Amino acid sequence: MDIDLSSEDLAFRDEVKEFLDSNAYKNGEDYNAWRLNWFKLAREKGGWDVPKWPVTFGGPGWTPTQHYIWEQQTAAAQIPWDLPFGLSMLAPVLMNYASKEQQDRFLPDIRERKVNWCQGYSEPGAGSDLANLKTKAVLADDGSHYTVTGTKIWTTLAHIADWMFCLVRTNDSGKKQTGITFLLIPMKQDGIEVKPIITLGGAHSVNMVYLNEVKVPVENRIGEQDKAWTYAKGLLQHERTGLAGISRSIVALEKLKKQAMTVKRGNATLMDDPAFRAKVAELEVDLLAVEFTELRSLAAAAGGSDPGPESSILKLKGTEIQQRVQKLTVEAGGIYSAAWGALPVGHKFAKGGMSGYLASRAYTIYGGASEVQKDVIAKNVLGIKKSSS
Amino acid sequence: MNFELSQEQQLIQDSVARFIDDKYALEARQKLVATKTGFSTDHWSTMAELGWLGLTVPESLGGFGGDQVDTMLVMEQFGKGLVLEPFVASTVLGTRAVILGATQQLKAELLPGLLDGSRQLAFAYAEEQAHFDLEDIVTHAKIDGTDFILNGHKSMVQHGASATQLVVSARTSGGQADTAGITLMLVDADSDGIKIAGFPTVDGQQAAEVTFDNVRVPKSRLLGSVDEGFDLLMQLVVDGILAVSAEAVGAMEVLYKDTVTYTQQREQFGHALSEFQVLQHRMVDMFMEYEQAKSLLYRATLEVAQSGLGALRTVHALKHFIGKIGIMIGENAVQLHGGMGVTEELRIGHYFKRLLVIDALFGNSDFHLQKFAA
Repeated sequence: MDIDLSSEDLAFRDEVKEFLDSNAYKNGEDYNAWRLNWFKLAREKGGWDVPKWPVTFGGPGWTPTQHYIWEQQTAAAQIPWDLPFGLSMLAPVLMNYASKEQQDRFLPDIRERKVNWCQGYSEPGAGSDLANLKTKAVLADDGSHYTVTGTKIWTTLAHIADWMFCLVRTNDSGKKQTGITFLLIPMKQDGIEVKPIITLGGAHSVNMVYLNEVKVPVENRIGEQDKAWTYAKGLLQHERTGLAGISRSIVALEKLKKQAMTVKRGNATLMDDPAFRAKVAELEVDLLAVEFTELRSLAAAAGGSDPGPESSILKLKGTEIQQRVQKLTVEAGGIYSAAWGALPVGHKFAKGGMSGYLASRAYTIYGGASEVQKDVIAKNVLGIKKSSS
Repeated sequence: MNFELSQEQQLIQDSVARFIDDKYALEARQKLVATKTGFSTDHWSTMAELGWLGLTVPESLGGFGGDQVDTMLVMEQFGKGLVLEPFVASTVLGTRAVILGATQQLKAELLPGLLDGSRQLAFAYAEEQAHFDLEDIVTHAKIDGTDFILNGHKSMVQHGASATQLVVSARTSGGQADTAGITLMLVDADSDGIKIAGFPTVDGQQAAEVTFDNVRVPKSRLLGSVDEGFDLLMQLVVDGILAVSAEAVGAMEVLYKDTVTYTQQREQFGHALSEFQVLQHRMVDMFMEYEQAKSLLYRATLEVAQSGLGALRTVHALKHFIGKIGIMIGENAVQLHGGMGVTEELRIGHYFKRLLVIDALFGNSDFHLQKFAA
């Protein structure tokens, strides 16, 4: 055990810093051109555009420490926006379960950020209990295509997506975990209707997606029919690890401290307020611990295997911490946190604080509600058998 | 000891509850939120007709002659509907300031309009540098002959943009954070040199930023005495705290009851959510804390009605608890509703947002715990 960075790691950190600094976005630049070029340059560095992909698929093959350094440096720097759906959620499924033809067809576009994907998992009756999904896919007699009918809910960015990876039911008999199939569905076609769901902060990012007799060629099925529950479960663990957002929370907490120092309290600032200070300190302590829990989990996964049940700890702790940072931002904004609409009022950070806080309430719900995560840990890690509800 | 309502109080409570049932379904409320004024002038007239705008105005002056207990009964029901009309700003705070501080002549001038709803007041006390300290006042007023000349900036004035007059706290002497040297006055919203910029708040209500640039205010518009306005300011803030705390208790009741209903309907893993013990215990916690909040509300309200500012410590306890528990109940209601909880479609998100704003009004949970412990 050793927590010092080796000279190689230090050199890597400098190289990352150098890359981020010299390719930072400059004001006035065409954002999209900069973004695509950034990924191209990162790719030329040796797979830095897909840090988590295995070497065989073009990833950089970093050590856990190098991943940690990358997370730290990129959380603090401005990097192009990126969506996890294709890159971190679908890609691992394709790598593990798709045919060579399918991999060649879909992975390059995902890597080049050319195609936007969305995830068709949850349904009105299948939230935490995902295996209860009912969207029906019927294979044509000639075996050429599926006809898909059903409703998906909470589909993030479905309104801008080109494709959806989707879980559908192909078999009703037997256990509900069997009989689920994984299909890739183009979004821009007849029979698909996307309706916005407006969330608490007034934002539109999630949607209902109605599928009405949508034809999906059988070549778009990943893996075997009826067997997709296993693929999906692996994917959920990837999703959960990605949701912890620990490096981002560290950056956000530092930002919050600076904001609190701009809030006057008599001759001092809010950061001198003992109650507020204590809450910031408690958050820092938890972050010190969870940062190392993540490192330990990264190290365990270094062999390239799926992250195990310990990833549930990260999602639980990481999302709670994100919520606490957001809540403190609201507290720091004082009455100005209540202001809404376009008019600038009071502390500059206050308005963003409230919408951030409201949005953060979903963090302990999506990707598996915290209560369900705890069930997973009780069952898989503690080995507790469930006798009843 | 007696927690029973009098016959008159029961009548008020029933009539407010009926008003909420009739007028404040979520969809109707959200339509009002989207209008320019952000509330219904018809509802406001109804409140005047039913006598609610004179609830704590003495009978000799044409009011109902009630006290903080009566306001509590109204506000608790308002909390169940998330009422948008400026009842707290104009009636609980503004009209009360007039009753406690105005000369007989000024009262005679203002009260008819206040009781029939044609006049509407707002309470401009908060300032940016003050955080939650009431006595930290930079806005100042200089005496010039028969006028005050007012300069400064007031923040987050609830319903400031629709008010006809503002109750303003200003420094007339002393240092920035002295309790002495504070004066309250009534300022016409259309005075020369006043700028009022209205905006919505996250809970669908209305507030305004107000700046005063050499605004002339006749001395006859003084509320209370020159330099000695701090006690009056405190009395108003205490009444404000009691009112929004009662509103919060009403909102909490809706949240915990909606959650119990929803978890009995929603099925996952072949069971209603309410059958999972971990969720049952969470709902029991919500219920227990709601009842505790209600007890503290009764305690603080009855103590203030009896001994005014002598009950300040209990008021601090109440506002601390309301902030903390309101958010706890709101967060849990959202969590137990799952994805539906974070949508605008269900009403619980709206109650949660109101509780968040109530925590920030008149000093948040931490602020009042520190005052309580001091």
